[in-house]
Amino acid sequence: MPDKPRTISLSQLDEWLTLVKGEVKGYQAETGELRIELQDSNRPDLWCCEGIARQIRIKREGIFKPYPFLSQRPRRPKRLLVDPELQSIRPYVAACAARGYQVTEQGLAQLIQTQEKLADIFGRKRKMVSVGLYRLEPIQFPITYEAVNPDDVRFTPLGVETVMTLSEMLMVHPKGVEYGTLLAGQSRVPFLRDAVHQPLSFPPIINSREIGEVRIGDDQLLIEVTGTNIAMVVLALNILAANLADRGAAIEPVAVHYPYDTPLGRRVVTPCVLSRPRSISLETIEQALGQRFGVHTVKEALESYGYQVSVKRKSAMVQVQLPPYRHDLMHAMDVVEDVAMSLGYGTFAPEMPSQFTVGGLSRLEQVSDRVRDLMVGLGFQEIMSNILGSPDAYCNAMRLEGTPWGRMVEVANVMSANFSCLRQWMVPSLLRVEAASARSFYPHRLFEVGEVAIPDLTHELGSRTESILGALIAHASAHFSELHSCLDSLLYHVGITYVLEPISHPSFLEGRVGKIVASNTMLELGLIGELHPEVLERWQIAVPVTAFEINLSRLVDLEQL
Amino acid sequence: MEPVSSCDNLHPLEKKVLEVFGTNRTVSALSTLQLAEATGLESSQLSMAIEWLVAKQLLITVSETVTPMVSLTPRGKVYVEQGSPLERILSAVRAASATGKWLTIADLQGREDLDPSEVSRAIGRLKKEGALLVIQGGCLESTGRPSPSAEAMRLLLGELHEATRPLNSFPEDHRLLIREYAVKRGSSREPFRIEEQVMRSYALSPAGAVAVTALANQGYSEEVAQLSPDLLKDGAWRTKRFRKYTISLRPPRIAMGKKHPYREFLDAVKFKLVGMGFQEMRGSLVETEFWNMDTLFMPQFHPARDIHDVYFVKDPTHASSIAEPFLSRVAQTHEQGGPTGSSGWGYRFDVERAKRLVLRSQGTAVSARTLAATPSVPGKYFSIARCFRYDQVDATHATDFFQVEGIVLGKDINFRTLLGLLNLFAREVAQAKEVKFVPAYFPFTEPSVELHVRHPRLGWMELGGAGLFRPEVTLPLGVAVPVIAWGLGLDRMAMVALGIHDIRDLFTDNLELIRSTRGLF
Repeated sequence: MPDKPRTISLSQLDEWLTLVKGEVKGYQAETGELRIELQDSNRPDLWCCEGIARQIRIKREGIFKPYPFLSQRPRRPKRLLVDPELQSIRPYVAACAARGYQVTEQGLAQLIQTQEKLADIFGRKRKMVSVGLYRLEPIQFPITYEAVNPDDVRFTPLGVETVMTLSEMLMVHPKGVEYGTLLAGQSRVPFLRDAVHQPLSFPPIINSREIGEVRIGDDQLLIEVTGTNIAMVVLALNILAANLADRGAAIEPVAVHYPYDTPLGRRVVTPCVLSRPRSISLETIEQALGQRFGVHTVKEALESYGYQVSVKRKSAMVQVQLPPYRHDLMHAMDVVEDVAMSLGYGTFAPEMPSQFTVGGLSRLEQVSDRVRDLMVGLGFQEIMSNILGSPDAYCNAMRLEGTPWGRMVEVANVMSANFSCLRQWMVPSLLRVEAASARSFYPHRLFEVGEVAIPDLTHELGSRTESILGALIAHASAHFSELHSCLDSLLYHVGITYVLEPISHPSFLEGRVGKIVASNTMLELGLIGELHPEVLERWQIAVPVTAFEINLSRLVDLEQL
Repeated sequence: MEPVSSCDNLHPLEKKVLEVFGTNRTVSALSTLQLAEATGLESSQLSMAIEWLVAKQLLITVSETVTPMVSLTPRGKVYVEQGSPLERILSAVRAASATGKWLTIADLQGREDLDPSEVSRAIGRLKKEGALLVIQGGCLESTGRPSPSAEAMRLLLGELHEATRPLNSFPEDHRLLIREYAVKRGSSREPFRIEEQVMRSYALSPAGAVAVTALANQGYSEEVAQLSPDLLKDGAWRTKRFRKYTISLRPPRIAMGKKHPYREFLDAVKFKLVGMGFQEMRGSLVETEFWNMDTLFMPQFHPARDIHDVYFVKDPTHASSIAEPFLSRVAQTHEQGGPTGSSGWGYRFDVERAKRLVLRSQGTAVSARTLAATPSVPGKYFSIARCFRYDQVDATHATDFFQVEGIVLGKDINFRTLLGLLNLFAREVAQAKEVKFVPAYFPFTEPSVELHVRHPRLGWMELGGAGLFRPEVTLPLGVAVPVIAWGLGLDRMAMVALGIHDIRDLFTDNLELIRSTRGLF
């Protein structure tokens, strides 16, 4: 039976919650409701107050007392029989009875919340795991888990008043509508009934209203879990059994008889221990944590975190086993973290990594920084922009629809048209600021150095990420030669000799646009021009604008030639 | 006030005005009109000079009178050339009568140089004065009598042609006529305009009198405003005096070249990291799920991988290939742990899914690429990488943001050196002396820790997350030593340093905001 409740402060609780990677996010004094944020998505046992309390209690008591229902097995347990057809539909089931805990209002709310979290989050919206709770008394054992024709079976489901067939439930019952796709394409569906053909439920959709509705005051329950992964199914049942046992119930296992092989055999008595003992060397733990503790500290730390631990003399190995409500041990490092959490992160003395390393920037970043310094010297204000934007800004408003310059990396799952493609060039980012800033005094000289994504099917990722310098001048008499002078000085100081070759580009005025070509290699580095009045109109910009772009990634490539 | 200093920093315009007061010592006050005449200054220049002198308390305002002034509107100027409608109509009717014809009102309204409303108003007045008769059929007949208002109008147009005169200078009957034909609300097409002119008169203050005397002693003409090459060339500057400037005035603003304050903040972080021995890494905006998630041991069914968390690329949807041996090693590790000592996730790894292209959702993808590219051991790496999340944009969520992340590899790497590194970050990046290490969860690290620091200005805040990469991450990528993975959450610090409250303002389009924001870090 649980101990008498005791009062603790919120800050004390917050400290204890580090044991479960949790944090108090809110407390309502009137209702006593506590909101706790949990980080660990691999510990479904902690997604309920029973599990959090259990982890804290074990730490305070120093050891986890094994649940009797796992060691003291009844000689002739109640039976649950599985129909062979289920192997290809929803193959696994686990169940147990719980007696002697009288369900309170709060207890029922927690039970339902745990059931929903296990099915929705852990069970991925009931696909892998779904949970049913029943009143035990009316049920005649053995229970049968069978496949039926959905038109042949009828009962009154939870939440409605009328008898309907399973097909009708799929079509009209809210749960049928929500979860029906899990059974899409199945001509036969899962069905749970007792020995006298009383319907229990239609997993994973809905329980029967007669037997499958637990009420406040009930003190004999049946818990059943079905699913597609037997380890997950059993783990979910183990968690629910531990929770009810912690509330004072006696758990009675049920033997599940399969007509086919399962990873746990053909007869599985549930709940049952899932994880096998595992040997870990003390050295692994000490090396990873950077501290020598000795085997006894490790044993104590793990035992007060719920593990069963045995130490073999002289071998410097510890044998550890997870408690039944956990199945998240993939690697020795998982145990290492539990040792650290049990001891408390605060008990570890930080130590500086001592090995010498040389710091530095990539060549591209060095070139970018140098170019930014030069642009500032030329009187330009740096801006920064989102890279994710709209085709309207990057392409249409630039008169680039259907041209090679208008190709972009686009998003498949668009949330908002404003954020649906990556910029393929820099000029629109500069125009975005210009268009919004007519009231900031002129002249405007803007630049940005940043990344763009250029579609390229010869690249394994379908695009290249390149760094671009873009610059713009806007004022009442802005013209080509003013910006050309800036470009000329810039490239001189970057050490590039170049020529401008006239081109046609829809974003710029014909005859006032050219590509920037490195003289010695004839490699194209960028472009410069006066923006087309129609582009300015689309952006609602009322002064002439000239702009250039230089591909800095290509500049770096050029250095390496 | 010293007499010399009182006139030293006067503008030439101010001196011109004071000069007038100097030559009219006997007069106690001078009006704006008198000053305008005496100085010959344009009215805007004069009012500027007077304003400055009043502000310097050299002149005082003695009186203020409001005078209605009459002037011609553009329409009035047309009347000067063509005659007023009264006159034109009268002479047209007389001319017609002389030839024995009768003009109708409609005839007159049809004339190009007359406005229909002007015609009916003028005819009404002429009829009232007895100069015209309207007979049967709307025909007009001259009575031969003169029209006093037509006469008066002609006189007024003449007098006001190129001159503005006070309304009070006209006789009573002319004043009435002017008021009737003046621009008012609702009748803008009138020949006259009456404007109230404020006439002020000014006198010297005692300080002003001292300044005038000082000016007289100095002589008015020697001053030069600007040192010019000519003055330097022939040495003429030696005989000149240079006007002193009022340097306390605010200067005009200029547009300076400047780095973006958020970029400066990131630059500061970047150089801190380089100073701590970190080498920069760079990556691609578009990544495969393989490098973005699979290598980080996030199972392919992980909820953070679905379409509500990550942006998927539309075309092409998949990468052409993924480098071996990494693909098969990672697949094996996911399935049953491979040679990593792990049990794996126990599901069937989908190679096609691994090739799916996404917008990089975490900077750790760059670290994973580095691990696979034979990094230095010992080694420290960082990246400031643009990442994308499928998030509703608001004041605290951006869809497109920078992550500052990195790795540290070495034989001496363990949980305690991880904490030591985080201590260093707390001190160097956030200037924090107090830190707290809190257990955390990341799919790719074990143990995992969150770094909380007490920032000198912000109080307790989460500065970053870190951990030791799981062997399931490092071993398949060919790294056998322990590796720290760390990430810093710096946007909140940046926002405080820049004085902004909306994360979207980090990439604002408001040039005024960018120009005026000081980065204080």
